[in-house]
Amino acid sequence: MEHVIEMNNVSRSFQEKQAVKQVSFTISRGSITAVLGPNGAGKTTTLAMLLGLLEPSEGSVKVFGLKPADVRVKQRTGAMLQEVSVMDRLKVRELLALIRSYYPQPMEMEVLLQATGLGEADLNRYAEKLSGGQKRSLSFALALAGNPDLLFFDEPTVGLDTTARRLFWERVRGLADQGKTILFSTHYLQEAEDIADRILLFNRGVLAADGSPDEIKARLVKKSLSFLASGDPALLRNQLLELPAVEGCYEKDGRLHVSTGNTDEALRAIFVNGLAVQDVRIDQGKLDEAFEQLTLNQEEAAV
Amino acid sequence: MMNPMIAQCKAELLRIIRNPYYVFWSLLMPIMFYFIFTRVVNTGTDDTKQWQAHYLMSMAAFSVMGSAIMTLGVRLVQEQTQGWNTFIRITPLPSSVYFFGKMFGQSIMHLFSVLCIFAAGYLINGVSLTAAQWLLSGLWLLAGSLPFLALGTIIGSMKRVDTASGVSNVLYMGLAVAGGMWMPLEIMPKLMQKIGHWLPSYNYGDGAWAIVAGDSPSWKAVLLLLGYLAVFMLLSVYIRRKQEAV
Repeated sequence: MEHVIEMNNVSRSFQEKQAVKQVSFTISRGSITAVLGPNGAGKTTTLAMLLGLLEPSEGSVKVFGLKPADVRVKQRTGAMLQEVSVMDRLKVRELLALIRSYYPQPMEMEVLLQATGLGEADLNRYAEKLSGGQKRSLSFALALAGNPDLLFFDEPTVGLDTTARRLFWERVRGLADQGKTILFSTHYLQEAEDIADRILLFNRGVLAADGSPDEIKARLVKKSLSFLASGDPALLRNQLLELPAVEGCYEKDGRLHVSTGNTDEALRAIFVNGLAVQDVRIDQGKLDEAFEQLTLNQEEAAV
Repeated sequence: MMNPMIAQCKAELLRIIRNPYYVFWSLLMPIMFYFIFTRVVNTGTDDTKQWQAHYLMSMAAFSVMGSAIMTLGVRLVQEQTQGWNTFIRITPLPSSVYFFGKMFGQSIMHLFSVLCIFAAGYLINGVSLTAAQWLLSGLWLLAGSLPFLALGTIIGSMKRVDTASGVSNVLYMGLAVAGGMWMPLEIMPKLMQKIGHWLPSYNYGDGAWAIVAGDSPSWKAVLLLLGYLAVFMLLSVYIRRKQEAV
């Protein structure tokens, strides 16, 4: 498959501080990728390098096989930056026309006007007079001005209400359906899980995990078993702890929970030994927990 | 399909027309000064007509120099700090086109200022020059503003609007006074005169003064302004390169 983005052993430092350390990944065409991580994890720095705004201190960054600052790359790329800013004293319509003129094959004006989601009156207002949310919609439309093949969104939904957020992701999905490659950063886990088909989990400048939301879960989340005791709970507990697959056992909300590295092994052992259990459930951890668990682990490791 | 160069120039022009604040301030002080020093205060010159034309050129130069250094500088810093520049950098627009658009907008603004101040001279004192003198002095004022525009781009590379507006104010007033725009260099101490003759502001004014006195601008003035233009441009490019490398 064609690689739209290739990052090879990329590090970036600011003075003494290393913001990104030894990051490598490739992104293939038509994918939606979430760069997920807490604040200060190196997400924005990584995006800035992909956009050619920052040079990596070490390693190489290639977009469409070229340096990100290459004009041929910029012609095929669009981005919505975290800081939304507009040129003052230009009307929304004029601003869109101006940015369109920078690209060899721009998106049709009608599509862009629609992408702003603004009414006729707002399209004729000075861009700097728009509200925060409207400015974000405008910057989304500006990102599309060149009809790009690759789109970057840096924390695109910060400050948007639920409706606006849903609308935004609907549009992004529409773009992905057209075959555009999308990379966005977020610290909302739910968003990464719902929207992306791949998650790059950043923490403290390191690419901590890379995979589909399911894979990340499988790797990071410990599954657990829970059931009701049909006989004597204390006896059952002792029996459980004797099984090699069982790591721990605790009671919560009237149910007996068992933590284990391998739920299949544990279940087999329970039934083979004929333990008195009923109403068995396998609990899948949520990505939220995985995320917290991972970042916590790393913080502990760092201490 | 609109050419990005034309689109950029058009946008810059629109922005200037819609923001008359800058134009107003670049005209108010020179025209007031002109009125005071040619009508109210008796400067005791022998040739009143000649002084009125001379000082008109001083004030036109003063106005254009101000908007080249301050307006351009401060606006560049504003666009930088508000993040608009970052957005432009991720589009395929070459930074040369972006700068050209800015220069174009500024030049139109300068043209407008020169016309207004010339009109003020005519209305206040009935300054009369030959058509060639009006035209040539106007052209000199426009072309001679280039080194100051380059200086404006250096101011424009500063990080904060406050710093930029402070520094550009001091620079502007200092250059104007030491370059003989407020009062002729001849009445200043010898040392000040010596320094003044090498300043870009003096040589900028000097070309226009020569034209209204019936001469043509000296080679020294032309060469010095070109020299300043080259130095300021190199400095500006160097600073920007350095900033981008961070």
